[in-house]
Amino acid sequence: MTFNKKFLTGITFTAALTVLAACGGGGDGGEQTENAGEETTGISIFQSKVEISEQLEAAAAAYEEETGVPVEVIGTTGDDYAQQLQIRLNNQTGPSIFSIQNFEEATRLESYLYDLSGEDFVGDIAPDMELMLEDKLVGIPYGVEGFGIVYNKDLVDPADIADYDSLVSTIEDFNAEGINGFGLSSEAYFLIGHISNYPFSIQEDPQAFMDQVTNGEVTLAETPEFQKFGEFMEVVRENTPNPLDKTYDTQVGDFAAGKTAMIHQGNWAAGMLDEFEVDFEVGMAPFPLEGNDKLAVGVGSNWAVNGDKDQAEIDAAIEFLNWLHTSETGQKFIVEDFGFIPAMTNIEAGDLDPLSQAVLEASNSGETIPWSHNYYPANVVPNDFTPAAESFFVNEDMTGDELIENLQAAWENAAQ
Amino acid sequence: MAKRNKIGWYLLFTVPLLIIFTIVVIIPFVIGIYYAFFQWDGISANPMEFNGLDNFFRLMDDERFLRSTWLTVLFTVLSVITVNAVGLAFALLVTSKLKLANLARTMLFMPYLIGGLILGYIWQFVFLDVFTLIGGITGLDSLFFNWLNDEDFALFALVLVFTWQMAGYVMIVYIAGLQGIPGEVVEAAKMDGASGWQRFSRITVPLLMPAFTISLFLTLSYGFKIYDVNLSLTGGGPANATELFAMNIYNEIFGYNNYGYGQAKAIVFFVIVAAITLTQVYLTKKREVEM
Repeated sequence: MTFNKKFLTGITFTAALTVLAACGGGGDGGEQTENAGEETTGISIFQSKVEISEQLEAAAAAYEEETGVPVEVIGTTGDDYAQQLQIRLNNQTGPSIFSIQNFEEATRLESYLYDLSGEDFVGDIAPDMELMLEDKLVGIPYGVEGFGIVYNKDLVDPADIADYDSLVSTIEDFNAEGINGFGLSSEAYFLIGHISNYPFSIQEDPQAFMDQVTNGEVTLAETPEFQKFGEFMEVVRENTPNPLDKTYDTQVGDFAAGKTAMIHQGNWAAGMLDEFEVDFEVGMAPFPLEGNDKLAVGVGSNWAVNGDKDQAEIDAAIEFLNWLHTSETGQKFIVEDFGFIPAMTNIEAGDLDPLSQAVLEASNSGETIPWSHNYYPANVVPNDFTPAAESFFVNEDMTGDELIENLQAAWENAAQ
Repeated sequence: MAKRNKIGWYLLFTVPLLIIFTIVVIIPFVIGIYYAFFQWDGISANPMEFNGLDNFFRLMDDERFLRSTWLTVLFTVLSVITVNAVGLAFALLVTSKLKLANLARTMLFMPYLIGGLILGYIWQFVFLDVFTLIGGITGLDSLFFNWLNDEDFALFALVLVFTWQMAGYVMIVYIAGLQGIPGEVVEAAKMDGASGWQRFSRITVPLLMPAFTISLFLTLSYGFKIYDVNLSLTGGGPANATELFAMNIYNEIFGYNNYGYGQAKAIVFFVIVAAITLTQVYLTKKREVEM
């Protein structure tokens, strides 16, 4: 028994150490990367879009073959990109090229962003698509993306969803037939982030409006567009399966299987629809809130150069971006392999899927509304909007007006 | 000479561990305490503003943090009870003269070998598809529905999954304890006419006290600092109804970019966990009996 007791005490002690270890750690999980490539200045790329990871590695290999400059692509899971980037930047193992999502993120990382205004190739960026911090150009757009109502042309006639009232009655009709009329999914941006754009983006000057909300000059609840939006969310809750039960995969999968007639998604979903080999035609229609007839088009992510590196590495990084956007091989990677709709005037769009084609046409004709969520307070969508939307979808007795009030409170919390 | 040799061996085995422990635990811990007195967004190029104890005062009327505290306490209390009850039951089962005892032992321990993250995703599927299916077939849909979409039941779902994961682990501890109980004591009690329940409560339980100490300590501390199952099963949702301590701290630091304030929370968290578990160890130690 004494041996046993000692043994147990030993376990207790070890366990105590483990517990202390776990408490003190506080979530620093950054691994070190070797500082390779001192002889020729190599560069490293860390970016958030998982979908293009492999293709980007191929591009890096092609570049290395052409120029001899080693390019290391650091892998990401996408979800924790921002945290990983912060850790790398802080412990001096930051990449030479990284991606930033939007204006708010750029403001936070301002001290790391290299001013690219002077470079030649940035002159080809389509108007208003570059990421500016005051007069500095800090981000080169990946490409143009757009979202709206993605619908099954076999089930939905675009005329039936052209205005708000007919959209609502179409959704109700589908519900009666046992088909999901309007699919959202549980991820922050697909649940509320993207769709919450509309009431902001159809304001005359969305940015000025958002400033007013932040300053308390106007509330969301008193704005008619938001009241209507709240009403629409009630329609969704009553007539469709709970979006919290869906993931992006099942949302798009149900659509591909014909179980869902319309989903709120962007042109990025085309890749997955392709994998499902859907046998019907798909289209993208504007979300007709308060007479809106335009797709929401914007830039999902931007390339930025780490200004904290030594000049040789900065130059090498810019050279790579230059190659990617001006050389034939580089452009081919952007259009064909990454599948981007180019946001540069010097790059021809390739063969596009129908959704991207719709976005490109809208973008070329200028018939678009902007992505307001790029100007929301930092992280408000996952931090504050999502819990508000979740509680709306789990509490049947919460009204659309209450949802809008909660969004207002969420905004105030995030903007303070 | 022999003694010096012994010290040499001792150093050889402990120093590397001490160095690692210092680097990954002690140093970050001390730096963390330092950060807790600043307002900072975690970007080293951005300014750090010293604001004294403000972060700690702010904690006291941070409703979300207080709610998270309450949820964590509730979760921990519930799961300490269920994990230990189920774990002890398992241990009694597999030490009885059951034919399949060895197989059962392996099977029951298996969930612990699956990582918490994967476990969370598996159970997400169970709640979403299997539960709703059972509810549909049996008509008991007030009990079998997707628990994860209910603000109250989501926490019970966490308790259930955590129990499923940890029960096998504490079972091992209890088995070790049960096997340490000398057969002659039990036999003597039998001869004296003690019933099964009497033997269990008067002999097994007191002699199991050391095992209780460890198991309670482990489940208490694991419960308080749970993160992986929380993240993959509910992600803190719906509407932050299952945002436990560790996740609240993580969100504060990486979601809201309040590095200093998040660190202050982490310090408070550490103090609470240390206080509670040490008290528990002290109390149960007192009840242990020496043979």
